[in-house]
Amino acid sequence: MVFLPDESRSLPPPPLLNKGTVWLGFAGWMSALMDNAFNHRPIFGAGVHRQILFATVGCFVGYHLVKRAEYKHAKVDRELFEYIRHHPVDFQ
Amino acid sequence: MAAGLRAVRRWGLVAAPPSLAFSRSASVVSTANNAQPNWLGVGLAFGTSAALWALLIKQHNEDVMEYERRKARAQCRQCS
Repeated sequence: MVFLPDESRSLPPPPLLNKGTVWLGFAGWMSALMDNAFNHRPIFGAGVHRQILFATVGCFVGYHLVKRAEYKHAKVDRELFEYIRHHPVDFQ
Repeated sequence: MAAGLRAVRRWGLVAAPPSLAFSRSASVVSTANNAQPNWLGVGLAFGTSAALWALLIKQHNEDVMEYERRKARAQCRQCS
């Protein structure tokens, strides 16, 4: 299965700051902080490069996941409205 | 009696001597030296982060342009 079919590019792209980006970026940052805690390092002050990298990976993955989720939702909506259009009697 | 004790131990009611299943040999694990920065790791991490942000922002701008292009083409087809 293709992750993002070509027709998904006809949809408006999500903003760079969206739920998925923020949440997964935050989750990535948290996992860097937890890595600090498990290795007995200062939680916030240590491994800033690691915190930035994990947060960046989270944002990156979050953006593409949100794009795929929006494509899936739009596809379902399109099929729903097509069905309603083809069966007007059922929706009087 | 041994079987009963084994069962009780399996139920977690009697402490067993610590097993070696989850211990790590010193020949495999070494304590990390956090005093001296691993500059290669730091450089790679920052470089990868910069590359990922550049890739993400480029992808987003391309997505916006492609969406605008397709919207314009769809509207033009309607008016022609």
